Amino acid sequence: MYSEPQRPGSRQVDDYIEENGYPSDQQSLRLRRVSSRVSNQNYPQHDRSSTPAEENDSGSSGPPRDLKAIPLPMALKRAVRQVQQMQVPVVSSRQSWRRKKNKSLQKLNENARGLLHFFTLWRKTLQQIGGNFGGGVQSYFLFLRFLVVLNFVSFLLIAGFVLIPSIVVRSVGTSVVNSTGADECTVYDPNPQGLVVFYNYFLDLLLGTGFMEYSYMFYGYYNNTMVEDSDFSYNIPLAYLFTAVFYFFFCLICIIARMGTAARVAVATGGSSVGNYSIIVFTGWDYGCQGGRATKLKQKNVHYQLQVDLEEEIIKKKAAALTLCQKIVLYSLRVFMFFVSFGLIVAAFYGIFMATNFSQEMSGEEGILGLLLEYLPSIAITIGNFVVPLLCDQFTLIERYTPSTTVIVTLLRAVFLRLVGLGVLLFTLWHQITCEGDTESEGCKLCQYNYEVYPCWETRVGQEMYKLTLFDLLINIGVLVLVEFPRRMVVDNWSNKLAQWVGRQEFVVSANVLGLVYGQTIVWTGALFCPLLPLINTIKFVLLFYIKKITLFSNCRPALKTFRSTTSTFFFLVVLLFGWGLATVVMVYSLAQIRPSMGCGPFRFFPNMWSIVPTSFYSLSKITQDFLFFIGSQSFSIPLFALSCVGMCYFVALASVYGKTVALLRAQLKLEGRDKQFLVKQIENLSRHQILKHTAGAHE
Amino acid sequence: MGTTASQLGKDLLSEYQELTFLTKQEILLAHKRFTELLTKDEKDLPNTRVPVERILTLPELKSNPFRKRICHVFSTSEYKDGSLTFEDFLDLLSAFSDSATMEIKSHYAFRIFDFDDDGTLDCGDLEKLVNCLTGETDDTRLTTEEMRQLISNILEESDIDKDGTVNLSEFQHVISRSPDFVSSFKIVL
Repeated sequence: MYSEPQRPGSRQVDDYIEENGYPSDQQSLRLRRVSSRVSNQNYPQHDRSSTPAEENDSGSSGPPRDLKAIPLPMALKRAVRQVQQMQVPVVSSRQSWRRKKNKSLQKLNENARGLLHFFTLWRKTLQQIGGNFGGGVQSYFLFLRFLVVLNFVSFLLIAGFVLIPSIVVRSVGTSVVNSTGADECTVYDPNPQGLVVFYNYFLDLLLGTGFMEYSYMFYGYYNNTMVEDSDFSYNIPLAYLFTAVFYFFFCLICIIARMGTAARVAVATGGSSVGNYSIIVFTGWDYGCQGGRATKLKQKNVHYQLQVDLEEEIIKKKAAALTLCQKIVLYSLRVFMFFVSFGLIVAAFYGIFMATNFSQEMSGEEGILGLLLEYLPSIAITIGNFVVPLLCDQFTLIERYTPSTTVIVTLLRAVFLRLVGLGVLLFTLWHQITCEGDTESEGCKLCQYNYEVYPCWETRVGQEMYKLTLFDLLINIGVLVLVEFPRRMVVDNWSNKLAQWVGRQEFVVSANVLGLVYGQTIVWTGALFCPLLPLINTIKFVLLFYIKKITLFSNCRPALKTFRSTTSTFFFLVVLLFGWGLATVVMVYSLAQIRPSMGCGPFRFFPNMWSIVPTSFYSLSKITQDFLFFIGSQSFSIPLFALSCVGMCYFVALASVYGKTVALLRAQLKLEGRDKQFLVKQIENLSRHQILKHTAGAHE
Repeated sequence: MGTTASQLGKDLLSEYQELTFLTKQEILLAHKRFTELLTKDEKDLPNTRVPVERILTLPELKSNPFRKRICHVFSTSEYKDGSLTFEDFLDLLSAFSDSATMEIKSHYAFRIFDFDDDGTLDCGDLEKLVNCLTGETDDTRLTTEEMRQLISNILEESDIDKDGTVNLSEFQHVISRSPDFVSSFKIVL
């Protein structure tokens, strides 16, 4: 049927494929090539299978096909390789040079990947978790690992540019710039007087006061020294500022880079969705599942998913068949529930506001009561984050959304509660530091911030963030020890009906992820005021990894409802971006609006933190100044903006073209199928006619 | 050209590296685990073929519902009994490895799901597939009504040319939409 010359090796290969019942590589590809020549450029993943046909019949040189990607047994791959080696391709020297370069690059890539494999953190543990509890839970731990690495690298950044130079400068002991302004504002003496009781050290560790306050931990310890040697100059305030700003950008780039993989799939497929059922059935099984128990669990899981989807379909059909009156009742119920849940959340915010105010008013108490009062905002936030979602969960029963919508609504509510709760805390602090924004009022007239209560307000904010972080970790440990272990022991040893109904703890991925996002947002907010916070957070997250792992393996039963791992990773990163946004707002406001404390810190004699940049700017050389002015001016930024708009339009157009091509090809495939059926019917008719003719002829 | 007694030769190792997606450490680990399956006399013979029952004692395959199909698909035995040589085993691990392409994974997934080996997935194949996924016990099996609805939904979504079966290209089209497939179609020793 095909008249091109075939090399012996490839004939053997084709024979093998045909005898196994699969259309020969060439035949199926011939058909595809004819109808989809257009699509070759748009479908890079099919490119591989179409090159051997072109290579074999034209006999020309192309890049040698990647042997690994041929779906044949080893012996036949060897045969193909021999055939390839026998072919003496007519290549120019440039092509052969390029091929050699590609090969060496591939080898380098493989070696690098092998090395990276060795250095990946917690690889075996994550594999175990994935095999036993599924992709959703594994994605939580992958997210946690990502945050650990991010925090550690940020700490290295901060240490390199701020911490180590500060240590060096302090030991060298250069002088401080002269002061301007009222003398009362510069009073700042955090060192405790007289004899200190031993347990105070422990309290100080928890509160960030005392010996911790005047240390590298907090903003207040850094000096505004500017080293200027003959051949070396280092401006510590400038370095502090730029490191903080760069840290934010660096985190943003990391998050977006990680989101890139999941987003790429959505763009390339033109955004259209193939139905759930095929995807669950064809791609739902996790081949990494090990052990009989995990397999049975996964099977139950798949069964549950399919049942839920089939049920959802029936519910949707029923919902479409509701009468008008029933629809009105349902929608009004939903609106009512929305307002109730919103009211609950606002009540929680008010509680946090009151708690923070009270805590700030009563600061200065000693002992355990003082400790409790200091931690009051954290306690209020934690209670709010615990109680409100619990109540909102009950509301979803009344609202009767479809299961998938319920999950999204619950998550959005919880995210809103957590992040805005933190925002309320920060707002309250700002209120008190700047006397409610009124710089002419009694307490703030002299120094433009409330210098009596907050001689060094940045350190105070840093301490609040530090307390929040620590409290979060303590709560996690506390819940593990006091709630989860006892719950498991009760359920396992007490065969009461109530105990069985409560059941073992379930590892709820969404709630845990929100906890991580909350923790990371606190660190971002506090990094400007507490430079060592990323390091503390790294340690905290590492501890959290092991705590969660212990609770997962000892106390939890796997959840029946699971997330899909890649869409959930994308969602986690989106939520993390919300937190980043909140922290950025706080940072920008602190840099630009509030006057830095005059008694401490690297910015003590500037009207606001950002003003150090213009000041240092004028000390640069004239050429650099001109260049930077040019970049900031309109004659550069407007063309740049226009160019990026054009680039964006191009990509949007490309994505829509892909989507349209996919739709077109589907329609084409449908038509071809119908053509095939039509031809088959024709053949049947003709052969029937032939048979009838034959038998009629035979009779005569 | 088969496996030598206890160690892989260097050129054989690099040949395997070229022909599969496995790294050097993965090939050596696979060799170690494969030789553990051999009896004492078999260890000296080159190119031994291990029967399917012994392959299925590997913990990675032991409880996989598709284990018999996987061995059948990768076996090059003339009797089609699912026995594997070391090279078949490497092919298996290569298709299931971390760095294998989506295309090769979907190709082999299709062959694994094609229970009657006729080149397309028809209703019988799909029903057996769903039963493997949900388990064979009575309380996890779907009812006949649910199964019927499910199969008709699947065919409606993925059978583009409406011939009642899902062929390889339609299957690959569905797979390309799922971002999870590559990470879940993985067996690592």
